[in-house]
Amino acid sequence: MILAGGKGTRLLALTRKTAKPAVSYGGKYRIIDFPLSNCANSGINHVGVLTQYESSELNSYIGNGKNWGLNGVNALTSVLSPKETEEGSSWYKGTADAIYQNLDWLDSIAPEYVLILSGDHIYCQTFDAMLERHISSKAELTISVIEVPWEEASRFGILEVDKDDMVTAFKEKPKNPKSNLASMGIYIFTYKSLKSMLIADAKDPESDHDFGKNIIPGMLEAGRRIAVHRFIGYWRDVGTLTSLHEANMDLLLSGDPGTNIYTVQGNLHIYSEDTLDYPQYLGPRANVSDCLINQGATILGSVNHCVISSGVVVEEGAECHNAVIMERAIIKKGAKIYDCVIAPDTVVEGDVRVNEERDGIVLYAKGRIYR
Amino acid sequence: MKNVIGMVNFHSSPEIPPLTDQRALGSTSFLGRYAFCDFALSNLCNSEISTVGLLVKEHQRSILKHLGSLDFWLTNTKIGKTVVMYNEEAHFSPETNTDLNNIRVNDWLIYDSPASIIVIVPAHLVISLDLRPYIKEHIEKQRKVTFIAKPIDNPSEGYLGSYLFETDEEGNVLSAKRNDGSSHTPALASLGIFIVNRSVLFDAVHDPAAIRARMDVESKLLEVGLIEKRGYVVSRYEGFARYIDSFQHYMDYSLSFLQKKDADEIFKKNWPIYTLTHDSIPAVYGEEARVQNSYVANGAIIEGTVINSIISRKVTIAKGAVVRDSIIFSSARIEQGAKVSNALIDKHAVISAGHTIKGSKNAPIYLKQGGRL
Repeated sequence: MILAGGKGTRLLALTRKTAKPAVSYGGKYRIIDFPLSNCANSGINHVGVLTQYESSELNSYIGNGKNWGLNGVNALTSVLSPKETEEGSSWYKGTADAIYQNLDWLDSIAPEYVLILSGDHIYCQTFDAMLERHISSKAELTISVIEVPWEEASRFGILEVDKDDMVTAFKEKPKNPKSNLASMGIYIFTYKSLKSMLIADAKDPESDHDFGKNIIPGMLEAGRRIAVHRFIGYWRDVGTLTSLHEANMDLLLSGDPGTNIYTVQGNLHIYSEDTLDYPQYLGPRANVSDCLINQGATILGSVNHCVISSGVVVEEGAECHNAVIMERAIIKKGAKIYDCVIAPDTVVEGDVRVNEERDGIVLYAKGRIYR
Repeated sequence: MKNVIGMVNFHSSPEIPPLTDQRALGSTSFLGRYAFCDFALSNLCNSEISTVGLLVKEHQRSILKHLGSLDFWLTNTKIGKTVVMYNEEAHFSPETNTDLNNIRVNDWLIYDSPASIIVIVPAHLVISLDLRPYIKEHIEKQRKVTFIAKPIDNPSEGYLGSYLFETDEEGNVLSAKRNDGSSHTPALASLGIFIVNRSVLFDAVHDPAAIRARMDVESKLLEVGLIEKRGYVVSRYEGFARYIDSFQHYMDYSLSFLQKKDADEIFKKNWPIYTLTHDSIPAVYGEEARVQNSYVANGAIIEGTVINSIISRKVTIAKGAVVRDSIIFSSARIEQGAKVSNALIDKHAVISAGHTIKGSKNAPIYLKQGGRL
């Protein structure tokens, strides 16, 4: 179950008409390609994608799961948006409520275990080891965790564990963290337990119907077994414009060799939509260095340390430095852009300078700068 | 267009050794991203022709590998269909492996369809062509066959092996002879595209004399047309096309698309060219990369210099390597400091560190699939 309903307000104008999981990344992908590809690569063939905010673009992107191969025999990809039922209609009130409202869908599949993921995280892994850990630890819930630097631990949901890596406490953004194991928002539940807890939670008028705020603390209180699975590798929650920009730049060859596009993917493919773009063309006076450029881009000017999507045109005489240029944006002759994200379908006119003072990372969309 | 069946003809493609030793020309790589037959299939699809037969002569593996699931260019995957037509009888007698025999042994495709018109397009022609106006004209003028042909200035420089037509003022065919490259005067060259009525095609492929003589379909239709005189008409196409008829032309024509004016002739708005997806990552350029006037496909990693060249999927150009005026096929590797100019490096081939491979514009060098220098 992929939770893909979030709005992502900190991505400014990028998510005004687009759900965060549908935001483009790495020149070719949308963020949700990562959890979907991870499911496909793990041999998980029944995937529900829970959408809510600006859902039509995301829903048609997901379709029947064909782009990720999740449309084969015995496979099912369902887009699960809020719906009207006999009891009335309601939006998803929280992450737990979103799953609760789709218990009938889960019942129709009758799974033994349910994997719950966030639709807006960037990482490549299979969930095989995590499921093994869940089964061998006889837990009702297993949470994937990543070790974060101690000084940053107070920004995360932190899990304290015993010597067997079983959870003893969960603290949301603790002031004085006693552990540096941060929850990645990836859960494996034993379905029977999940169902009973969601039904109980739905009856509680005080609850926010949220896994982090209600379900997990409630389970600990009741003494249920919760295990952690330690994740090692590249994982990013691109909540802000700066972190989205940084995660794009991580993919370039010039950065940390542990995070470039080859090492991030490892042996796993990231599947995505097939676009019908014409080949990528670099012009006679193009100047390209340290870039990631998708098919369908036309580069006639100068691009350095950039991630460039399909359909982008950089005209001769335009200069781009340290920029993420999203689908179909046009950088006109004479324009100079620095340390920025250019939103899809944006035209940067020739007399425009974007962030020439190089003050942080900015977004350029619809003819103006957002910070 | 439910009234029309399209057929993509791999039989009429010329052999251009050494490139086609292991593959059909129609499934040969083009601009690092396409196979030639993508143009034929996309033209049929964009012209709303949803029943398509692939007239496969040989090298089925290479063709099917490219075409994959056979439905990715269909608008409606239930209503539309694509079928592979292959003449198994010709397996033991290759000389009978003609498009005419292929259509005859696979005539169930025609029986199964109510279509009254069949459009046959060659698999190796680079063209972005809306067939609908030609089909409309064919129907309105109640023709039996429409041959689509292009006026060319000098038959000795291209369209080798294709028919050169003479017509009367209404376009009726008066004569047709194969272009052997000897003529230098302007002519009307067949594009190998023809629109034919169901019954006319049916008679042609079942004609015992044509079967015995191992004729191809176009030749047989012309033979009948020259006798009947009416209804066998040449329609002129004045637009852009590239007819791949030799290895030299493969190189020259491919590299000519680095010029915008040629590229704009085939890559048009609202006329997508469909091709197989490989889920490759975007192209990666290193800090020392220098790439100018080139096409680069996804999955390529370029840390060296690439000038006036075409780089296919998953090609590696290492630091200090220089590639000029060349075409590099997928998964080939140009190692550190190697130099490549005026060459075609086939799939999985390797130019080892420090080595040089140097052809000239009029004598490009070919390194075979998996070869190592």
